[in-house]
Amino acid sequence: MKVGQKYTIDKQAFLAVLDSLRKGAKLIGPTPGPDGDVVFREVASVAEFTFDYVNEFDPVKRFLIPHRQDLFRFTLGKRPTFEPLVDSSPQVLCGIRSCDVKGILHWDKFFSGTYLDNYYLEKRANTTIISVACNKPLDTCFCICCDGGPWLEAGFDLQLTDFGDRYLIHVGSKKGIAILEKIKKGLVAATQEDLQRRKELMAKCDSQMVPTAYVAKAIIQITNNRVREELWEEMGFECFSCGGCTHVCPVCTCYDVADYMESPTCGVRLRCWDSCQYSGFTREASGHNPREKTKERIKRRFYHKLSYAYVKLDGHQGCVGCGRCITVCEAIGLLDLPAVVKRLRREGQPEPEQLGAQRHSS
Amino acid sequence: MENLYLPQLAVIDQIVDETPDTKTFTLHFLDERYNKAFSYKPGQFVEVSVFGKGEAPFGLCSNPLRKGNFRITVRATGTVTNALHEAKVGDVFGVRGPLGNSFPFEEVMGHDILIVAGGIGLPPLRSLIEPIFDKRNKFGEFTILYGARTPTDRVYKDALEEWAARDDVRLLQTVDRADETWTGPVGVVTTLFEKIKVDPKRTFAFTCGPPIMIRFVIQDLLAMGFADDHIISTLERYMKCGVGKCGHCAIGHKYICVDGPVFSWRQIKVLPER
Repeated sequence: MKVGQKYTIDKQAFLAVLDSLRKGAKLIGPTPGPDGDVVFREVASVAEFTFDYVNEFDPVKRFLIPHRQDLFRFTLGKRPTFEPLVDSSPQVLCGIRSCDVKGILHWDKFFSGTYLDNYYLEKRANTTIISVACNKPLDTCFCICCDGGPWLEAGFDLQLTDFGDRYLIHVGSKKGIAILEKIKKGLVAATQEDLQRRKELMAKCDSQMVPTAYVAKAIIQITNNRVREELWEEMGFECFSCGGCTHVCPVCTCYDVADYMESPTCGVRLRCWDSCQYSGFTREASGHNPREKTKERIKRRFYHKLSYAYVKLDGHQGCVGCGRCITVCEAIGLLDLPAVVKRLRREGQPEPEQLGAQRHSS
Repeated sequence: MENLYLPQLAVIDQIVDETPDTKTFTLHFLDERYNKAFSYKPGQFVEVSVFGKGEAPFGLCSNPLRKGNFRITVRATGTVTNALHEAKVGDVFGVRGPLGNSFPFEEVMGHDILIVAGGIGLPPLRSLIEPIFDKRNKFGEFTILYGARTPTDRVYKDALEEWAARDDVRLLQTVDRADETWTGPVGVVTTLFEKIKVDPKRTFAFTCGPPIMIRFVIQDLLAMGFADDHIISTLERYMKCGVGKCGHCAIGHKYICVDGPVFSWRQIKVLPER
């Protein structure tokens, strides 16, 4: 068996294999939520899974970058002591979507490099990803504009395509091979017909995407500082600084660090999600705050998402097209990524005389 | 895999009161082998942990060429710095580092050096000034300009006196507001430029201080004819992790904690925000 190969298998047979993975790992996947939605959580059996969903509103971020992650526990004293709290317990993420896998690939790059973030990387090394390609999009999905889906060519351990009674399985890694090797019978090499069927399903999904985000133009404008200052100001006026967009974003990773005392002598140093959209994000102890205005923070967010400097640094624009910011944004339809991309294209061009001034000053 | 976030324990050897709200701490690592191996470059910083209060970054102000211990100068402004100000000799804290890039040192040998410091901007520059004195014959003309709010707000008063007495450096000081003890110039640090003679072509200028001061210093240096990469400054941002992950100190696509804190004007001027 090799990476890149494709097989088909009866759904029930594959679910039985998934169920057997619970022995050595947490099995996490889609379950029915309280309001007819879907919630990813650890299950005691695959019977708890639902298959009637497109995606969860919360990104799978929390399973690799917990809302609160304890870094080490310390005990105060003449000579303080501390012990690291690295969680590397194995987990299997089942049923996550391509856009979220793409987000994870972004973190893999971000948390390595010169400084290896062992908390993330050890958790990641013990995570298995069984993703599902999307047969239909939500009316907020635009992954097709960001190469975030609806299916991927790499990044997963196994990628499933739902054929109704069967799954088409795309092998993505050695971890994926190890799972398939547990299957005693019923695994058949995908036929030309299967591959054609998959192609048609994906093409149909592509054609159903509603929002558009022509990011290339926006990247050019932001990179060259060719955006009317007034547009950022308008957007700053519309933004509630709620931080929702960064919290649901499968790419955003910013965190705060704090000490929390559990008893008078014992405490933990923890990190927890933070947002560049909060006014306190850059406030210094002296009170000096370089990004005090909402406009400056909005500008920051989209510079990070869409400037060429970051695209080069991260290998990808800071968006996978999951569409969650469209759902979460309080300034409905004004400040989600596709909306901003559209506004940059249509309203962002500076007046000719302003451009002239910029050219002289640079 | 090495744990990026675990500090090493370090003990305070000495505490010096600099100004009413600023103290200098000399520390060494408890682990002898770690302490021996600890080395850093001018301009680098450390993250100091006061367990239970948090962690904060401080520029190293000691001479990187002298091993055995290191120093930081701390102004009491927030939770961690206030807790540090209550510390006594023998108290133990956590230290991570050295972090960040550094001032060019070997690279600027053979040139004249101009240092422009404001207030608590002098400490990081001291980690450059002292090694220059140690290798004084490798450098040309050496000028230090230092400005502070009042005479009392000047840090390292002993060292300043010692430098003033040396004949291989020109030290000029100014204060925003004088008191009865002050006989020197009054005014912002840029007013000292007219009192000195530098050849911009032979000189590297290093500046550190409050953001507003840095802005005016750079403006004047450019007007004097300094090339963009002969102006070396530090950028300051709220930092948390110190290793380019938490996102707080990002300016443009640079993370001050790993790409900085030292930047040339050539690098700074293209950042989308300053």
